[in-house]
Amino acid sequence: MFRKLLKPFARFFELHARTHYRAERHSFALAAGIILAASVGGFIEIAPLFTIDETVEAAPDMRLYTPLEQAGRDIYIREGCYACHSQMIRSLQDEVDRYGPYSLAVESQYDHPMLWGSKRTGPDLARVGEKYSDDWQVRHLVDPRALVPGSVMPQYAFLLDAELETGSLPDRLAALRAVGVPYGDAQIVNAAADARGQALPDTDWADGVAERYGEETNIRHFDGRSGELTEMDALVAYLQILGGLTDLPAEIQAARGD
Amino acid sequence: MMTRLTVAERQSAMFISGLVAVAGFAMAVAGHGDPMGAHGWITLLFAATLFFLAGEALYHDEPTEDRSAEYYDDPTKAGILISLAWAVIGMGMGVWVAAQLAWPDLRFDAAWSSFGRLRPVHTSGVIFGFGGNALIATSFHVMQRTSRARLAGHVSPWFVLLGFNLFCIIAASGYLMGVTQSKEYAEPEWYADLWLVVVWVVYFVLYVRTLARRNEPHIYVANWYYMAFILVVAILHIVNNLAVPASFDAAKSYSAFAGVQDAMTQWWYGHNAVAFFLTAGFLGMLYYYLPKRAERPIYSYRLSILSFWGIVFFYIWAGSHHLHYTALPQWAQTLGMTFSVMLLVPSWASAGNALMTLNGAWDKVRTDATLRFMMMAAVFYGLSTFEGSFMAVRAVNSLSHYTDWTVGHVHAGAMGWVALITFGSIYTVVPLLWRRETMYSWKLVEWHFWLALAGTVIYIFAMWNSGITQGLMWRTYTESGTLAYSFLETMLAMYPYYVARVIGGSLFLVGAILAAFNVVMTIRNVGYRAPQIDYPTASEAGEPAIPAAE
Amino acid sequence: MSVKERDPLTGHETTGHEWNGITELNTRVPRVIWWAIGISHVWALVYWVLMPAWPLVHTYTKGLLGYDQQLVVDDRVARAYRELETWRAPLTELPAHQIREIPEIMAHVNATAPALFGDYCAGCHGTEGAGGPGFPSLVDDAWLWGGDAETIMETLRVGINAPHPESRIAQMLAFGALDILTRPQIRAVVDYVQSLSGLETEATPEVLAEGEAIFAENCVSCHGEDARGIRDLGAPDLTDDTWIYGGDDATMFTTVNLGRQGWMPSFEMRLSAAQRMMLTLYLQDLAAEADE
Ligand code: HEC
Ligand code: HEC
Ligand code: HEC
Ligand code: HEM
Ligand code: HEM
Ligand SMILES: [Ca+2]
Ligand SMILES: [Ca+2]
Ligand SMILES: [Cu+2]
Repeated sequence: MFRKLLKPFARFFELHARTHYRAERHSFALAAGIILAASVGGFIEIAPLFTIDETVEAAPDMRLYTPLEQAGRDIYIREGCYACHSQMIRSLQDEVDRYGPYSLAVESQYDHPMLWGSKRTGPDLARVGEKYSDDWQVRHLVDPRALVPGSVMPQYAFLLDAELETGSLPDRLAALRAVGVPYGDAQIVNAAADARGQALPDTDWADGVAERYGEETNIRHFDGRSGELTEMDALVAYLQILGGLTDLPAEIQAARGD
Repeated sequence: MMTRLTVAERQSAMFISGLVAVAGFAMAVAGHGDPMGAHGWITLLFAATLFFLAGEALYHDEPTEDRSAEYYDDPTKAGILISLAWAVIGMGMGVWVAAQLAWPDLRFDAAWSSFGRLRPVHTSGVIFGFGGNALIATSFHVMQRTSRARLAGHVSPWFVLLGFNLFCIIAASGYLMGVTQSKEYAEPEWYADLWLVVVWVVYFVLYVRTLARRNEPHIYVANWYYMAFILVVAILHIVNNLAVPASFDAAKSYSAFAGVQDAMTQWWYGHNAVAFFLTAGFLGMLYYYLPKRAERPIYSYRLSILSFWGIVFFYIWAGSHHLHYTALPQWAQTLGMTFSVMLLVPSWASAGNALMTLNGAWDKVRTDATLRFMMMAAVFYGLSTFEGSFMAVRAVNSLSHYTDWTVGHVHAGAMGWVALITFGSIYTVVPLLWRRETMYSWKLVEWHFWLALAGTVIYIFAMWNSGITQGLMWRTYTESGTLAYSFLETMLAMYPYYVARVIGGSLFLVGAILAAFNVVMTIRNVGYRAPQIDYPTASEAGEPAIPAAE
Repeated sequence: MSVKERDPLTGHETTGHEWNGITELNTRVPRVIWWAIGISHVWALVYWVLMPAWPLVHTYTKGLLGYDQQLVVDDRVARAYRELETWRAPLTELPAHQIREIPEIMAHVNATAPALFGDYCAGCHGTEGAGGPGFPSLVDDAWLWGGDAETIMETLRVGINAPHPESRIAQMLAFGALDILTRPQIRAVVDYVQSLSGLETEATPEVLAEGEAIFAENCVSCHGEDARGIRDLGAPDLTDDTWIYGGDDATMFTTVNLGRQGWMPSFEMRLSAAQRMMLTLYLQDLAAEADE
């Protein structure tokens, strides 16, 4: 029975082998065959992700990264934090129990690129926002082992002394708009001032941030100092918003379960 | 080496390196104050050195010998040596980052030496620096021999090899400066990506032009694989790296894709970097050097066809097994899982084809460490693909994902398969290329084999232990139905395994250093021997038969 | 090259070519390969029919089982929740001292709380709850807000100086930065405070007297007449020998000069009421153990 089932495969292969024997004399036939065979799968798996609507949930309250948070994200990438930290809570019970509601596609809708990660040397960070204080984050980044003995995370003390470069922020936001993040003109033009304002609550710049990004935006001395704007400010601002861009995951999962 | 180029070729080498130098200078000026500026200076230095090397030789005599009577092996020789240098650098970095995970303060008080920045230096260093150079070098060697034709060009092979190394240098130095797109195995920024496209197009053209010159009617299997490697890596590279630079005078760019689409694209790329860089390319190597060394025919041509097309077709679908249980729609995960399992058949068919080829040569395997390298590589290839297909099953992946189990699997493939086949091929090809009687020391080869094997086994076992331990601890529930371990406890449990990995990795590194030493000593100290027939002939080979019915 | 060469060893035919000395046998594909292909393809086919698998343009095949990983985990979480409810209901219904009297529940608490504490609290308060600079020890009896279960529960729910609408607010004023006190005055009051808890100071009696006066004028409103702290304000006892930030000159000078505003996160969204109660019970036990 089984052998009969396999017959068509065998016959197909026989044909294939003969065709092959002739085709392998022509480098372009070979090249064309390779391109064809290797294109099908990728196309079928990637293209529909753009056309099937339910791929990315609708979250009306989804907000954008502020320029300071985006700058922090760029530092997160620069330092390679994603090599140890995932930002993707899988739909598995133990992950939901440990880290909170599983991650939804919409949460990384504006993440160019996504930072889901592939290794958890350290814990998942998808919902780490507001899990700790700014002060804790700063001190942890300066010296992780001072707070968590036995941690293998590197120190990033230099971030406290590194002044944040804000001049390129309008360009960065504009590039993000070019790839599909809906930043408005005012947000792009004021990007540098907004970055400053978000970390310097008692300045006029801060008002602009609230106006352009909403009253809910965290506007604080993230690095605990009022003087200059540092890379630490940006990175902590980013960490503190992780998981806070939309309330949808908690709402969905509250409605369905617990 | 320069004197084997004609004056016109030396001129065009000068022209091209001059052009690159100017581009480097432009980058240096435009990118002033940004890491891109530093990359401009590196490019300028690199290209200017080549410019002066070519310039110095410009007025030397033209080559007199009939070049078409010989294969062109200078780029291959250079490629092998460069590959060995990268092996030591990349694996040295591997040992360093491994040590940092056990003893995190084992670093300098400087940003560049943190784990997150060094790790990609290791991964790119071994995959692209060591593996890539070995692939380019051996592909030049193999395609000339199996086509009985000299390389179709004299400047372009150098352009490919050196251009690729410029890419590697920009990549590695960039990571240290924090220049990265974060896309695993595709970290370099937009200008490096663009440059690699240029290099790769030249590579493909060179490959096809050499094949077009061939004196064999049929294209040998090894070349199918090298061709698949070149072509598909080009497609993957271009699509995955689509990005918009924030400005043209700085390194930072943003991926064209976001969220799920980006995740699928990245792992379509990432998985097929494994398939077409770390597998197809090295299968090309295996298909030439293993039968060559064993002096046995390939076990089955039909099996070669089946596994080649199986690998080319099935691998592409498997990328989504890196995204099980994530926000990627489940239908895509299903495809990734099922195709990964079906993929096992052509994978094992390749491994089996290689091992069966050794039938009749097992006594050589016993006595010849070089052949043993390649035999072991085929075994590890079989092992890691089995493990991969197993881990691609959703239920298994729910445990293995995010843990060291993945890292163990990676190194079963990377050390056990990729590195062993490369070392085996290098030991085979070095005496042939440099026309030496033998390797400097077979004892050292033997030592290297056992160091590499022990290192790999220690590494893999350590990671299986740590990965499975951690995966299980994460999901252990108390009898009350609540999580039993905090994350911190699971992290502390990794320490002994991380120490074991440092030991295994160090053994492997020592082996690689011995290999580099042995090769250099072979070139410098071993006597000349004229090779058996090792030159292209112009004669048409007889047209062979259609595959005979059995 | 002859058309049909044979490999002398196996007797198999070759394909007839030779590349630089390499030949190929034309061995047929071993049957086991066909079996493997057959089995894996049939398995895949079945899987595709049962599970979400193939994309169409605007939708995808959902599979006969109607399986959806998100609904499955929702369901599993809900089921686990119901199972937990079989024993943890009293945690949210009874006051702490009554819970303590039910040994079964306490067994669950003791099994659960350490890992919870490790994942959510140990980063600040240390794995043993002993605290560290800036993070109070939870195992001494120097409480800022109070060590009874209700108070701890409330602290965990709303946090301290946290971005929660009902957060507890506790602020140590920046007497120096706000120009309320001069540097010598700060130094004097620091000396005085140090003397309260019996720390060595080299200050003269005059300075201490000045410090006492400054303290009476500026500090008693929060730390109390006797400097033993006021729990409603989260202001710590300054007469004991435990410190959140530190009792040395430099640290205390900074405290008074720049002020302090410790931030303890709110756990209302992150942990359930039952989990918070387990932590509370666990904390009280830790504190009691440390006392012994
Ligand atoms: C070598 C691996 C490694 C790297 C690189 C790394 N981390 Fe960590 N991280 C850890 C480990 C391990 C822990 C858990 C122990 C601890 O809290 O220190 C951790 C914990 C954390 C936490 C606390 C998470 C929680 O829920 O308790 C945050 C936040 C964090 N890291 C942020 C970062 C950022 C930001 C970077 C990059 C600038 C980074 N990490 C780089 C390993 C790493
Ligand atoms: C970001 C760091 C941080 C984390 C995480 C944290 N705490 Fe705290 N906690 C603090 C700080 C800071 C204070 C003191 C606030 C102040 O100085 O006014 C505090 C105070 C407290 C208090 C009040 C002590 C008193 O004397 O009244 C309790 C109780 C407490 N924490 C328990 C916990 C528990 C239980 C957890 C875990 C669920 C936890 N904390 C997590 C930082 C933290
Ligand atoms: C507005 C209320 C308020 C006033 C006025 C006030 N304090 Fe405080 N003080 C606090 C609070 C609240 C804390 C705890 C802050 C924290 O934990 O983050 C504190 C903490 C301290 C500490 C740190 C204790 C430790 O354990 O490290 C010292 C020292 C201190 N106060 C001294 C003083 C002195 C001296 C004055 C007067 C010059 C003063 N305080 C006035 C509210 C006040
Ligand atoms: C000297 C031997 C080696 C040592 C000590 C070593 C060590 C390491 C370490 C510590 C990591 C990081 C793992 C983590 O993040 O937890 C790593 C990752 C990696 N290494 Fe190696 N390595 C070695 C050899 C190689 C070789 C020869 C290759 C390839 C040819 C290779 C390819 C990789 C890859 C692809 C990764 C990334 C894995 C992932 O992201 O899952 N390594 N290696
Ligand atoms: C049949 C063949 C194979 C299959 C089906 C397969 C499957 C897998 C799976 C399921 C993972 C884990 C993904 C995750 O959970 O994150 C993985 C990771 C990986 N595999 Fe394989 N594998 C195969 C062969 C190989 C080979 C031969 C290599 C050679 C080096 C290799 C290199 C890697 C690497 C580098 C990763 C890590 C990717 C990352 O950075 O996360 N694989 N593979
Ligand atoms: Ca990875
Ligand atoms: Ca790239
Ligand atoms: Cu993969």
